[in-house]
Amino acid sequence: MTRLAHLWDQSRCIACGACIAACNAANYNSTGRENKKWRWLASNIKRVEILTGPRPTLYLIQCQHCDNPPCVLVCPTGASHKDVDGLVKIKKELCIGCKYCMVACPYNARWLDEETGLPRKCMGDECLSRVKAGLDPVCVAVCPAGARAFGDIDDPNSEISRRLAKSRYVRLLKNKDTEPKYFVVVGP
Amino acid sequence: MIEFQEIWNPLLIGPFLWLAGIADMACVAYVLLRQAKVDNLKAFSWVLFISIVAALAFVVADLSRPWNLVNALMTSFFTGQFGLFRSWMAVGIVLLSVATLLLFLVALRHTVNIKMLNAVVDSGWFGVLLAVVGLLVAVYSGFLIAATHGIPFWNTPLLPVLWLISSTIGAVALTELMIHRDDIIRFTVRASAAAEVVELVAVLALVNLAMYSGTTAARTSGWALVYGPLAPAFWGGVVVIGSLIPLAIGLVNWRRVISKSLVAAAAILALIGALMLRIVVLQAGVFEPVV
Repeated sequence: MTRLAHLWDQSRCIACGACIAACNAANYNSTGRENKKWRWLASNIKRVEILTGPRPTLYLIQCQHCDNPPCVLVCPTGASHKDVDGLVKIKKELCIGCKYCMVACPYNARWLDEETGLPRKCMGDECLSRVKAGLDPVCVAVCPAGARAFGDIDDPNSEISRRLAKSRYVRLLKNKDTEPKYFVVVGP
Repeated sequence: MIEFQEIWNPLLIGPFLWLAGIADMACVAYVLLRQAKVDNLKAFSWVLFISIVAALAFVVADLSRPWNLVNALMTSFFTGQFGLFRSWMAVGIVLLSVATLLLFLVALRHTVNIKMLNAVVDSGWFGVLLAVVGLLVAVYSGFLIAATHGIPFWNTPLLPVLWLISSTIGAVALTELMIHRDDIIRFTVRASAAAEVVELVAVLALVNLAMYSGTTAARTSGWALVYGPLAPAFWGGVVVIGSLIPLAIGLVNWRRVISKSLVAAAAILALIGALMLRIVVLQAGVFEPVV
């Protein structure tokens, strides 16, 4: 079985924002229109800064492609679905814009594209076609620090599996039982 | 500053839940009124039908892709992807469609004289079906909100119960406003006073549980309602106008109905309170911080 997943190495990330800009450029044609829900640009990656504590911390939040995705469970038409490759995707032709998936997602990982009415999330159309062609999503491809990886976590020889095997990592909101497949590496 | 959810518009989904709530438990009230041999239910039946149609209009107004509604539903249904056994939204689409059809038949029955229609609507099985569908719509609208994994304040088993109580109060209020038979008014005054007490307990339990909850988001929602920016709407609109004043009027009229105008005023306030309850609960939704 294939289970495609994302890895983001917090300890390597230099917070340059290249992944965010690349997502905007590749999936939303570098549009300048605002993602009002996140008060952010049209990108599927959200930058969250935690300013409390001894030092500021940065997190990059995006769809976790959960193994047990609440967004899929609540979708009335089956527009949000988990594909055989393990990614959570949206069938545009089935989406009525009820936004149930958006309130169901504990990661707040979806934003509303006011132009199409679609709840957008990772991955966008361009990234999906890249993955289909055997390439990495753009956020992984452009990262100058090698802080990102993407691949099949069921394949022990994939880069993501090898990096996970030798790293300490966390998964966000584990208590929600969503089985997220977005691994945040916090150190070697 | 609290970042409330901005996904579902409380001013659209609130009235949707309120109108659906009025229509659903009023279906049960309609059946009971028929049992009590109340005649001339024409206006009552049309109010129910208009309520459910207006509810549908509000919920469609909140969709971000309403133009795709019919096509997506048909495709989803005929390709076996419709989530009837998975999604409360899908359950609601079916229930609201059935309720709308049934209420249209009821309104028609009281407007035109068609023998076959009269026989169908007046039959025992139709009454049972109408009451059951009404009850299910009331329960569904609570589960719809409570099934949202992302917003801990809504994600509580108390919400469907509260919605059911509030819908019952709405149906009783509507009956008080539209049915003027003395024995019915005597019953509804007592029923609404009792239901107001239960609702008050449920509302206070909802905010209290949230404030002592293990999740930051639920505590934030509870705080916003009790002390924060939503406190005036919560205490003034939901508790005082929506519950305490109608309860006080109910208690004054408990032994003997002193004033029908007072009863009507209490009914209107209870309906306003039910609307306010839904709006503030929706507005108070906050996402759990991811880290």
